[in-house]
Amino acid sequence: MAGMNKLQTLLGDPSTLLRVKSGKPFFMAHMIAGYRSDSESEQVAQALVKGGADIIELQIPFSDPMADGPTIAVASEDALKAGATVAKSLELLKKVAAFGKPVAVMSYTNPVFRYGIPKFVKTIADAGASALIVPDCPFDTEEGQALIAACKENNICFIPVVSPGVPEERLKQLASAGGGSSSGGKDLLGFVYCTSRQGITGATSKFAKDLADFATLAKRVFNLPLAVGFGVKSKEDVQSLAKIADIVIAGSVFVDAIKASGIGTVEKTIREIIQTE
Amino acid sequence: MSEKHTYGGAYVPEMLWETLQKLDAEFENAKKDTAFKSEFENLLKNYSGRPTPLIFAARATEELGGAKIYLKNEGANHTGAHKITHCLGQALIAKRLGKKMLIADTGAGQHGVATATVAAKLGFSCKIFMGRIDMERQRPNVFLMERLGATVVPVEYGTKTLKDAVNEALKFWMENLDEAYFVIGSVVGPKPYPSMNRYFQSVISREIRAQLQEREGKPPDVVVACVGGGSNAMGSFDDFIHEKSVQLIGVEAGGRGKKLGEHASRVLSGAEGIFQGYKSLFLQTEDGQIAPTHSISAGLDYPGIGPELANLHAEGRVELTYATDDEAVAAVDFFAKLEGVISALESAHALAHVQKIAPKMPKDSIIVATLSGRGDKDLFNFARAFKDESFREFLKDEYGRYE
Repeated sequence: MAGMNKLQTLLGDPSTLLRVKSGKPFFMAHMIAGYRSDSESEQVAQALVKGGADIIELQIPFSDPMADGPTIAVASEDALKAGATVAKSLELLKKVAAFGKPVAVMSYTNPVFRYGIPKFVKTIADAGASALIVPDCPFDTEEGQALIAACKENNICFIPVVSPGVPEERLKQLASAGGGSSSGGKDLLGFVYCTSRQGITGATSKFAKDLADFATLAKRVFNLPLAVGFGVKSKEDVQSLAKIADIVIAGSVFVDAIKASGIGTVEKTIREIIQTE
Repeated sequence: MSEKHTYGGAYVPEMLWETLQKLDAEFENAKKDTAFKSEFENLLKNYSGRPTPLIFAARATEELGGAKIYLKNEGANHTGAHKITHCLGQALIAKRLGKKMLIADTGAGQHGVATATVAAKLGFSCKIFMGRIDMERQRPNVFLMERLGATVVPVEYGTKTLKDAVNEALKFWMENLDEAYFVIGSVVGPKPYPSMNRYFQSVISREIRAQLQEREGKPPDVVVACVGGGSNAMGSFDDFIHEKSVQLIGVEAGGRGKKLGEHASRVLSGAEGIFQGYKSLFLQTEDGQIAPTHSISAGLDYPGIGPELANLHAEGRVELTYATDDEAVAAVDFFAKLEGVISALESAHALAHVQKIAPKMPKDSIIVATLSGRGDKDLFNFARAFKDESFREFLKDEYGRYE
């Protein structure tokens, strides 16, 4: 196997556990490729990195994003209207990866399927991505299997997305589909992406009541770092999730900031929520 | 099914996995339960009004000069189309699952009205998600849904049309999985929805067989049905799939041109894709973005085709073709004048194809075309398509009468 990718290096660092235990989780900042334009989105990535993001989640815009709330859905549509394509998103990926932080690419299944699964995964790996998130492609479909194979081959982490309410039986299936809790599976899956409430990315910061229990369960089953996202809007949200998450994810809050007062506010916004002064 | 083209599957976020597992299991149980079957059949007979008539289109047959034409009149169903059948079936499954609420997305409002109707009949609360722009365009259907006791939830973001309504309905569903049952309006979506809705609709083909046996003593040579997602087509074909002598033809919306965006025909320009939980043929761009579609008939204006239908097409069992907007409008007129049947614009695509093939077929051959719905709902569209000036005046006057 090739050397560790940037995400594996970050998560494999022994100090990671200390950070998490001291209530200072990593922060994964989500952004949409091509929103509001190619050049703006490059600047957004730079601002997120400068503002303290540990990992960048770069979403390839899709016409019908079923797992996203209105904010991301409308921003995706705006990006497509502004001319975003998969090819341009992958060009942007190279630039974002060059900022030095691990990049997780997020896409719905269809654009990846159309591009060709092996070709897509190889392209993102060559562009410098560390991980891939495909929320509507279960591991146990033909395409899920193809994604796993391609990710293994290209040293890309294939991130499982779960949420409170997913039964233990299913979590175990997902964990074993990724190669179990052996080190091979760990390397493949990277971390577990948990949505903080049973629902879609969005405007409310109401986390599922059973989130803490579920987080414990997911960590036990996967034996991996746990990322929690969806609806993270403020430093209070981050602080409350810091008790259970190794990685906190936020996204629509940056779209809101860009909409309200342009990309100049992105760095300030991320500093405010993660409180790096 | 061929190995190469196995369309279908369940491509959904993990949070829906358990819900779909339970639905699948409950559907399998229900199929074996005679009490379930008799409750469903009772509703079809004594509420929806089945069996629907098989009309011998004598004057159209004479005029076209070829095959004998029969029309399976699903428009005679309560609420005017075949759609009520799979809504009733799904509602009974929802009841078995202990759900209290039926939810659905709707574009033009037909599926919303059918869902609201069934919810009222069977005692569910009902939420229908509809884009704000669609609500404005389809006020009569919104009015009907509200009279039926449903809450119509306007979707105020994005294009404010069907795709945002789907997104919003899904979102509500994922937040209310314990209470809400998502009613899908065609043979599309993740497993088990396509086969479940086909199972409910298959009554159409069984009735065609029995009615034709009684009248002609033999099965049809050709069955023709329009195809949006494909629910009336799968229902019309199901009982004949293993009877190779029966030719099965699905007619898609050819719209107003052959370019992407001008029609809704997957046979014209569909490509393999994964969308709304299933793998099938979709109208999409090179980039894998779902393409905009056009059809004069709202029910056919959809980018995907039911996965079982896509499989049957890939195997060569079902032929897919298309009819244009203009051909559909002309077919409504033709059958209205000759048979006293005003077809829905969706079904008129099937009728337009009948006009094309009947003259070339021998006189002792039989075509059955499924009239998936009646045309009342298209009153405004028809009036506009025929540029009917008096209707314009009527609308103005009607406005005056409101004041």
